[in-house]
This record gives sequence, C-alpha cells and structure tokens, in this order.
Amino acid sequence: MLRYTVRRLLGALPTLLVIVTLAFLLLHAAPGGPFDSEKRMMPEIQRSIEARYHLDEPLWRQYLRYLGDLAHGDLGPSFQYRSTSVNEIIAQGLPVDATIGLTAITLALSIGGTVGINAALRRGTRWDYGSMAVAMAGISVPVFVVAPLLILVFAIKLHWLPAGDWVHGSPSHLLLPAVALALPYTAYIARLMRAGTIDVLNSPFIRTARAKGLPLRLIVWRHALPPTLTPLVSFLGPAIAGLLTGSIVVETVFGLPGIGRYFITAALNRDYTLVIGITVLYGALIILFNLLADLCYAWIDPRVRLR
Amino acid sequence: MTAGRSGVLSACAACLIAGCGSIDAPTAMSVPAPGSAAASAPTQSVTLGSALAGEQAVARGLDDMPRSLDPLLVNDVPGQRIADDLFEGLTSADISGKAAPGVASSWESSADGKTWLFHLRPDARWSNGAPVTAADFVYAWRREVDPRTGAQYAEGLAPIENALAIATGNKPPESLGVAAIDQRTLRVRLNGPTPYLLDLLALQYLYPVYEPAITRYADAWVRPEHLVCNGAFVLRENVIGSRITLQKNDKYWDAAHVRLQRVTYYVLPSRADQAARFLANDLDWTDSFAANQRTWLKSIVGEQAVNSPYFGAYFLGMNVQLPPFKDNLPLRQALVLALDREPLVHYMRQGMYQPAYTWMPPLPGYELPVPDWQGLGDDARHALARRLYAQAGYSEQHPLRITLYIPSQDGDSRHFFEAITASWFSILGAEVRLYEEEFKVLAQERNLHKLPLFYDAWIGDYPDPYTFMQIRYSGNGNNNAVYSNPAFDQLIDAAGQEPDNVNRYRLFQQAERLLNDDAPYIPLYYYATRHLVKPYLRGWQSNVMDRNLSRYMYLLEHQRR
Repeated sequence: MLRYTVRRLLGALPTLLVIVTLAFLLLHAAPGGPFDSEKRMMPEIQRSIEARYHLDEPLWRQYLRYLGDLAHGDLGPSFQYRSTSVNEIIAQGLPVDATIGLTAITLALSIGGTVGINAALRRGTRWDYGSMAVAMAGISVPVFVVAPLLILVFAIKLHWLPAGDWVHGSPSHLLLPAVALALPYTAYIARLMRAGTIDVLNSPFIRTARAKGLPLRLIVWRHALPPTLTPLVSFLGPAIAGLLTGSIVVETVFGLPGIGRYFITAALNRDYTLVIGITVLYGALIILFNLLADLCYAWIDPRVRLR
Repeated sequence: MTAGRSGVLSACAACLIAGCGSIDAPTAMSVPAPGSAAASAPTQSVTLGSALAGEQAVARGLDDMPRSLDPLLVNDVPGQRIADDLFEGLTSADISGKAAPGVASSWESSADGKTWLFHLRPDARWSNGAPVTAADFVYAWRREVDPRTGAQYAEGLAPIENALAIATGNKPPESLGVAAIDQRTLRVRLNGPTPYLLDLLALQYLYPVYEPAITRYADAWVRPEHLVCNGAFVLRENVIGSRITLQKNDKYWDAAHVRLQRVTYYVLPSRADQAARFLANDLDWTDSFAANQRTWLKSIVGEQAVNSPYFGAYFLGMNVQLPPFKDNLPLRQALVLALDREPLVHYMRQGMYQPAYTWMPPLPGYELPVPDWQGLGDDARHALARRLYAQAGYSEQHPLRITLYIPSQDGDSRHFFEAITASWFSILGAEVRLYEEEFKVLAQERNLHKLPLFYDAWIGDYPDPYTFMQIRYSGNGNNNAVYSNPAFDQLIDAAGQEPDNVNRYRLFQQAERLLNDDAPYIPLYYYATRHLVKPYLRGWQSNVMDRNLSRYMYLLEHQRR
C-alpha cells in the first residue's frame, strides 16, 4: 500500500509539470498583458514594472525561473495586487473555501445519502418519486439562481442570516453559502445512492442476508452500504478537490474571501502567477483526492485489495 | 484617467480626482442640527432619531479589491477611497470634494504662479506619533517619479519641475522641483502656472508616505501591522478579496471632528450583490449600483438611490489614421449626428446618465461649447447626417460596413450598444457589427491603434478641463483616436501658460470646438455617481469627483421597523 501510494505520488509530478507548462504558455500566448489598462502608462514606467516581474526576460528564462521558485514552494508575487504574494492569497483564501466546502460536502453526504437510500428502500412509492423529483430540480437549478434566492428570503425578507461576508468561526455566516453550495451535490449524491442501493439490493448476497433473517437495518448498514459507496467515492474525489478550491459563484454572491473567484478574475486580469498558482493547486488537489479515492476503494472493497 | 476593469467597465475603475477650483476654509464639521436632519429624513423602513448613534461604525461597499494600499501606487477608484481615508496630502478633499487645507494650513505663491511655499501644520502627525514633515513630502514625491518605483501615476506630477525628465530616466529623482526649507516649510517649483495645483495636491499620488516603514518593510509596509499613515483612520485589517477595516486614528490632527470609530469596506465586484447587501442592511453605503437595476431600486428605496453628475465621459473612439475614418470627416460627422441621444440614454440606461454632446463633461464654472447641431430637430439632424453619409461616399447600395469593438464582461451595456448600431442602421443604413473583446485585449489593441471604431471612456483626475483636453494632444499616450491638430495643440499650450482661469477656460473652449468639428470621437453620455445610502448615514455630499471621505461621515440614531 505504501509503495503504491509513493509510486502514485511520484507519478503525479510529470502531470503537474504538464499543467504548469500549459498554463504558463497559454497565459503568455493570450493577447493583452497584465499592465494594459484604460489609462496608458508612460513607457519607461511600464518597462520598470515589467522588469520587476522579469517580464523583460526571454520566455524560457521566465519559465525556468518560475519552475525554480515553484520547487521551493514559492508561487511568486501577484501581478495585480502589488505587495501581495500568491502564497499569501492562497493561504488566506483556502481555509475559507475548505470550511465552506467541507461543511457543504458533509451536508450533502448526510442529507443526500439518507434521502437516496430511503428512496431505494421505498422504490416506486410516492416518497421515491417525490424525493427524486426534488433531487432532479436540485441538480438542474444553477447555484447562481439558488444563492440570490437564499439571500432574498433569509437575509433581505426575514433578516435571519447575513447576506454575505465572512467571519471566522461564525456559523451564521457559513450557513447560506454552505447550503447553496451543497444543494447540487446533495441532489447528485441522493440519485447516486439510490441507484447504487437498488443495484446492490438485487444482488445475491443481500438475498442471502435476507434469507438468514437479518433485520433490514443491519442489511443496509453492514452489507448494502459498502458496495454502494464505490461510485460515490469516485464522484467525491474530484468533487472535494473542486469544493476545496471554492466556487466563483458562491464566493462572489456572498462576498467570501476564497480563491475560487481568481480562476476567472485573475485570468481576465492576466495575473500570470496567480492563475498558474491556483491552477497548480487545483491540479495537485485533484491528483491527491483521486489517490485517496483509490485507496478508499481498497478499504471498502476487498476485491480491489487483492489486485 | 480611467482604467477599466472587468466588471461594469465603466470607467469607474481607476481614475482620479480632486475638488473644484476654489479653496474653502477647512470644513470644521459641527454636529449637524439634529432636529433638522431628522425632519428631512426620507425613511423607507427606518425611523430616524435626532442624536448621533451610539455605535459610530459604518459599512461601505467597494467595487473591487484595491490593487495596492500604497497611495503612491494606487491606480484605481477603490484604492483611492482607501487612500483618502488613511492618508492626507498638503490639501485634502472637503465634504464637497473640493480642495481644502490638509497637512498644509496655509500657502503662498510667487507672482508668476511657478513657485509655491506650503506651511505645514505643527500638529500633523503620523499614526506612530512622529511629526509629518516637509521632508516626508520630498521623499514621497521623489519616490513617485522615480521610474524604479514603477508608479503608474508618476505622470500626475508633470506640472512639477523636472518630474517628466525624472520619470523618463533622464534626470535623477533629487532634481525634482521640491525642497524642504525647514521641517514645516515645503517649496514647490512648477513648469508653468498651474491653477489646479491645489486640487492636484489633494490626490493620493501626492500624499506623503513614511520613509522608515518603507525602508524597513519594503513592499510589505502596507500590511496592517506595519502601515504608518497620517489620515483620519488607520488600517486594522485587510482580508484580501473580502474586506478592509479601518479604525479611527487618534493621532490625526483633526481627530476631534472625526466621529466614526470604525469603517469597514466590503469588496463586492458585482453591483447587484452590493444592492442585495444594502437591502439586507449589511451596507450603509454602496460604491455604485447598476443602471439596469435603477428603476427597481428606486421603487424600493426611493431617495436612498442617489445619482449626481460625475466628471467622466463615455464615448466611442474613431481612429482618424485608419480607414474608413482617415481623411473622411463627413463619415465621422455622420456617425456623430445619427444618434438620438436623449431617448437612447434615457431608455437604455434607465435615466441614470445625461446624454453627451461635448468632450468635456459638465464642470462647475466651465461653459460647455455645445455644437450647433444639438439644437436641430430629429428630422433635420437625420437629414444632415444622411447628406454627410452620402458625401462620404456611402449609399444604400454601398453601405458602410464596420465593426464596433466593445468590452465583454459588461452585460449591462450590450443592449445599449445594440441600440446604437440599430440607430445607425435605421438612419443611415450603415451596417455596424458588434464585437465583444475581453477588456485586456481591447485595451491593448486600442493602445496600439489597431481598432478603427471602439468603446472608450475617460474620468477626470482633478476638476479642471486640462485633465480631459490633454489626451487629445498630439502623441498623448491615451489619444486612442490618434487625433492630431496643430491648432488644437497650440491652444492647449497657450492655456498651459495662462494663470487666469477665465482666459484658460476660453482657450479650452476654443480647443474643444476645434475638436468637435474634427469629430475624432462620438459622444454618448456623461457619467453619474451612483450610490445607495441609508438615510441615517450623514456627513457626505454628492460631488463631481465622487470623493466621499469617511472622515466627515457619521450615523444618526435609527431604528429599523
């Protein structure tokens, strides 16, 4: 297992290098530079700023310089926010996204899981159709509709919860964004769990368990649940990586200091280092959580372990 | 100056500012007659008391994350708002945005208007208690024009002797025309009479900075734990992308008149989100609101949605060195004339802005040289436009086919541009295609003079016509239309040597008439300030430079129903 993990982690390095290289080249190939703006700078001043960020050097040297810094864990200075480093931006934003993301995924798992299993157990009933219709709606309605609706109802009309802002450790500031973010995941997980459970419930080993006279609760928890988790785990790997790096919509609507928004704004601003930095981070997280997902399979399913 | 950004790229992004010509006495803010304030209060769901609120903490919306908190590096409006609260120049914007005494309590100038002496007030202090001295200004201004600093607004110091030569690397920073005669006297030498100097001095790129902090912490000096400032507030917290919290500065010389204890700026790039946060009572003030929400917001909050003239213009540029506009004045004039500005601006921008007929936006004291055709009826104007269009060589069989480049990420404006092209089509038969470009790409291509017809905007840095006129000067870096007329340049040069504002304004008006006759641009509308303001937030006034320092603001007692 350890050897497998180490091998996978080493195998991730070339993948990351490809990500960095592509991001670097694409950004530099894009027209418009970080310092083009409505008011044009004096050429001397512009040159001085570009020299500060080594933009005056040949591209290959900039690339090597970036790789060298990256190897030391330094993502460089932000081009757009002077006197702020990309490391700082990530260090400040990532915990916010992680808190909201983990809360959202917890909500989604507990609610979506319960609803999905129940729907499977009561297959064909009104409960089943009702909850799956709601789940379908949850998947279909985009966050940029849900989030402002939540604000309208709970912040503007009822004044129960704040319409935005972030205060560390304040549940009231966490609730609306987490719910908005959790909604589509909840719905997706509910459908995934329903399908998985129905599949498993029809399999011979469940019939055996039933024939033995095991109570339903035990059948579900001990025998049916683990195999239904396999598709869920493969969904959760990339989903968690995505949630951890934030959601541009939720962050923008609720005014949260996460890093998700930079996927868009930094690219539009041609903030080279910030774009590459969060892209690398996202890539690393995807690789990491896919690895964790694979390790989970082995833990859930003995057959995988044997292979 | 303007700097566009993604969002509603109205030029509301970077630009600069200052107050109007005359200098008022320092605005001593007496506590307003409480009774009268309550009487005039437009209340929506709020009952106003007559006394000051117990907790003097205000929440303000900010359109974007400031690019820097270093006043000398600020190049955007959000950054200016923060710099205005943290720092103070020789002069300072008063409640109406006009320049008033700041760190300097008095000044005198030589007869030719080229040498000025500023006397610093003895009680001006940095937030660490050290006195603000003339040497602090010398250091800051030299740093601003030193090309190694990379300050985008180095050009702003152009009226000061040698500033441009230093910024272009041709002279050392020490040669800048500024000297500390003693600790509290600063001498400034100018290239020519500069009637707007006092307005200029109230801008962030002429604010002093604290040398020991910069020497010690370099770029990191603007962090809350290191920042030393001399304004009404100090920096307590800077959560990147979310909020900036300021606290009253007890060392500020006028602290006795500052009533807010805390100011929190919330960074909300989406105007709709700012409006939502305002309606949820999370914000007392928004930086702006969207034109397409104006009618709706007015219906909910009434007088709390405030618009007033803003010193900026929204227009289309025509590159006079590129076909089809090169050597084709009739075509340029036809496009200018074939727009029904009143209904266009009124209906497509929900009455937020005033239609424009001139290059300069309205400025108190300056009479706009409105072109003759403004008085024409629609039919006569259309007929004239068609005649010019035909004269330019176009017809129904051979229509003008061209692309208008507009910024993407500006959903608010797309329908407005569509109405413009529809207007050209219906009046002239011209087929103008819209092409949306990412703002950075548009800005670059425009600066490289590759685009024949494009969106453009400009916001004045200080309340003087020169801030607009200069960009039509031959070779100016922001002259995106590549306009050049020696007669125009001569008038601007003459105005630069003219100490008297009445004569200067006359020269500027003549220059502007020339410009309008040459038609290198298509005026659309003048900007407006747009704020949502709670009725209990007092101590601010709409002004053409849209400067609203927290220093003057206070909250009245109120109860939400």
